[in-house]
Amino acid sequence: MQRVQAEATDHAPWLSFIGRRFLSFEAELVVHLPQLRRYARALTGDRAWADDLVQDATERALGRAKAFRAGTNLRAWLFTIMRNLYIDQLRGRRDIAVDDETAPWRQMAAPTGEVDGLVLRDVQRALYLLPAEQREVMLLVCVEEMTYQEASVVLNVPAGTVMSRLSRAREHMRVLLGEEPGHNKPSSLKVVSRL
Amino acid sequence: MTNQTHPDEGHELQALSAYVDGELPAAERAAVAERIASDTASAATVRAYEAQDNALRALFAGNSEPQVVVMRPRARQRYLMAACWLVVGVACGYLLHMLLPALAEDRPQFAQRADIAYAVYAPEQRHAVEVAASQQDHLVTWLSKRLNRTLTIPSLTEYGFQLVGGRLLPGEDGPAAQFMYQNADGERLTLYMAIVTRSQSKIKMLRDGPRTTYYWATDRVGYALSGQIGEAKLQAIAYDTCRELGGDPKEW
Repeated sequence: MQRVQAEATDHAPWLSFIGRRFLSFEAELVVHLPQLRRYARALTGDRAWADDLVQDATERALGRAKAFRAGTNLRAWLFTIMRNLYIDQLRGRRDIAVDDETAPWRQMAAPTGEVDGLVLRDVQRALYLLPAEQREVMLLVCVEEMTYQEASVVLNVPAGTVMSRLSRAREHMRVLLGEEPGHNKPSSLKVVSRL
Repeated sequence: MTNQTHPDEGHELQALSAYVDGELPAAERAAVAERIASDTASAATVRAYEAQDNALRALFAGNSEPQVVVMRPRARQRYLMAACWLVVGVACGYLLHMLLPALAEDRPQFAQRADIAYAVYAPEQRHAVEVAASQQDHLVTWLSKRLNRTLTIPSLTEYGFQLVGGRLLPGEDGPAAQFMYQNADGERLTLYMAIVTRSQSKIKMLRDGPRTTYYWATDRVGYALSGQIGEAKLQAIAYDTCRELGGDPKEW
C-alpha cells in the first residue's frame, strides 16, 4: 500500500493553487484543526479532554506563531505542541485514566460494524489497552497518515524508533484482537500476560 | 513483547510493517514484495496490518463538527491590558479635572449672581433700589464710574416697564450694577451688568425655580435680564435689550 505524504494540500486543494505564502498563518492553521481534533479524540478517548487539548494547543500555537519557521511542516509543529500538552496532562491524570471500567474511552459511542473482518468495538478496546507510547505512533501513522519522518518530529524520536515502535504496536494489537499471528510465534500469548 | 521474539523475526515484522506504510527503499521493497508473494504467513501479516489500519481509520472517520477555539488573553497580556486600562482611567480623571472648571465656566458666574440678586431685591418694597430713577443721571454716572465702563440704561417702556432705579452690588471680580424695572401690575425685571473676561454673543437662558434669566456678554460686559413674567415675553425683551446695548442679532 503506497501512501502519499499527507499535507495540507490533501485537505484543501485550493491551498496549493493560491500559494501558501499568500495565506496567513491563522488560515493555514485552521486547515489542520479537524485533523488535530481527530487525533486528540483518538489519543485521549475523551471528547471533553480532546476539545481542551485542541483549544490549548491552538492557543499556544497562535501565541507562538513567530516561533514557527515558514516553509517547515506546520502540521507536525501543531501536533508536537499538542502532544507535549497531552504528555503533561497525562501525568496528572494517570491515576484516573488507568481504571479499566471507568476509562474515558468507554464513555465514547460504541462503534458498530466491522471492517476487513475486525469488529470495530474490539479494535477500539484494543487501542486503549495499548500503552500510550504505542497508541500515539499507531494513530499518527495509520490514522493521520504521517510519514515516519513526520511522526518522528512529533514524537521527538528517530525515524528508526518510529518504525520499530509501530511494528511492536501492530503485533501487540494483533495479539489483543486474538488473531493467530502469521509467524510461528507461540510465545505471543504469554507476552500478553506479561503486559 | 518483541524482547522475546527472535531478532530476525522482529526485523522481518518491522519490514512488513514499513512495507504497509510505503516506507521501504525501492530495493528492499521489491524483496519484501517477493517474500509476501511466496510466504502465506507474511501475506497474512500484511493483510492483518492493513485491516488494522482500515479499522482504525473507520473508527475515527467523520468528525465534521466545527472546532471552536477561544482566544483567552495570556497572563502577560492581561497585565498589559490592566495597565492600559489604568492609564486610560488616569487620563480620563485628569481630563475631567481639566474639563470641569471649563464646564462650570460655561454657565458664567455673573448670570447666577444676577439671578440671586433678582431673588433678593425684586420682592423688596421700601429699599428695592439705592438710587431711584428720579436721579437717573447720577445713577448712570455713579455706576459707570464704579464699573469703569460707560453704561447705558435701556428703556423698556414699550413693554410697559418703567425704571425704578439701581444699585451697586458685589460681583465676581469687582463691582456690578443692577437696574430694576417695574410695570403697572407690579411685576419686576432686573438688568444686571458686570465686567467679564469672555464675551458671549449668544443669548442663553438660566432657569432657577420660578425665575428666568437671559444673559449675554458684549464688549466684556456681561448682561443678565431676570424676571418672572414668562419665558417668551422675557426672551423678547432680552433680544431687544441686547440689540439696543450693542449686541449683534446675526450672532444669536
